[in-house]
Amino acid sequence: MNEQPVPSIIEAIRQTVAERLQELDGVVGLRRSSEGVAPHVFQQGDDLSELEIVPRYPLTTVVSRLHKSFPEIRLGIVARGCDERAFVEMAKRNQIDPDRLFILGIACTAEEAEECHCAAPFPKHLVVGKPVAPGSPNPVVAEYDNTPLAKRNAFWRRQFAKCIKCYGCRNICPECFCEDCAMEDPAWVEPGLLAPPFPVFHLIRAMHMASRCVACRQCDLTCPAHIPLTVLYDLMRRDMEATLGYIPGEDIKAPPPLSVTLNEAPLLVNTGHMD
Amino acid sequence: MAVEEFEPRIVAFMCNWCTYAGADNAGVARLESPANILPIRVMCSGRISPELVLRTFREGADGVLVMGCHLGDCHYSSGNHRTIKRIPLLKSLLGFAGINPERLQLEWVSAAEGPRFTQVTKAFVERVRTLGPLSEEVAA
Repeated sequence: MNEQPVPSIIEAIRQTVAERLQELDGVVGLRRSSEGVAPHVFQQGDDLSELEIVPRYPLTTVVSRLHKSFPEIRLGIVARGCDERAFVEMAKRNQIDPDRLFILGIACTAEEAEECHCAAPFPKHLVVGKPVAPGSPNPVVAEYDNTPLAKRNAFWRRQFAKCIKCYGCRNICPECFCEDCAMEDPAWVEPGLLAPPFPVFHLIRAMHMASRCVACRQCDLTCPAHIPLTVLYDLMRRDMEATLGYIPGEDIKAPPPLSVTLNEAPLLVNTGHMD
Repeated sequence: MAVEEFEPRIVAFMCNWCTYAGADNAGVARLESPANILPIRVMCSGRISPELVLRTFREGADGVLVMGCHLGDCHYSSGNHRTIKRIPLLKSLLGFAGINPERLQLEWVSAAEGPRFTQVTKAFVERVRTLGPLSEEVAA
């Protein structure tokens, strides 16, 4: 996570950003200052030696806010594979304007791909770096079908009991944009309980992630209690692909299947309710 | 010590236009339905959000039945299209979290299907009875 990028990649992306700033209003990326690394809108004349690509940090909500506040602004974005997929999903939900967003894609390193168990560690709009092979699949997910219900239950109860309800998983998520979050609604999650009540709290989030999660792993990395949330989300992603043929972030033209009719996004399996 | 037989508590969400009328139909025909069912009338099975089902389990239901119009019969034309995608996905999620997915079931019952209403509810109550209380499955 803390390894430094190959100097040539960081130099090349700084060069690309400098070129694109000639015609764009700004490029969103990470900037290193004396206080650490934080999101920043680079504009012409800025010191691009401050541009960084580690640590990974999702910028969709930053771009979403900028697009909504400045209806004309044309932005570039330094993006990895997962970032690009996240922008695709946000565009479908009218949170960003894809016509005013330009992906400056960087490829992840093989180590990063492995750390994330990433199936596509590079964006389609790749500008800098070479695509590396996908990381190996998450071993917990691979063996999950052979795990009996009672063992699954024990596993997740142990995991969720660690939750301190910091909402870090939601706050870091590149796909979470609702102004009123169901996880904070007393109608669904009774307030004042720690760890948060099972099954509502975490399963609500898992269900909401089903057609959105682009497997960026930020929630796993952020969680102070080290709850392996992406195991649950990966299983949901697998189910979505099997039943609805939907891979979040893959195709900007594919409608979010849970929000449309069967004519627009049919079921691929017979659940016994087709009559 | 005598062991009391476990009586499952089932919450049934029924759509106003088909299943609720189907339940009425069963009652008018004097067909017996299990008393374990707590009926909740909703305007469409498509309004049954995952939050609602999960909170129902949280509140102590041993099983949740979601019932609505057959495909093509929806009063809002495509409300049950959402249901047919959402409920199987939610069942999968329950399974992933170690809750038996059979505790959640989706059934289409039309306004004319009184006998089917009785049959579906009876079968579900018996199924959940064999699964036992949810509180034992998710005991903290």
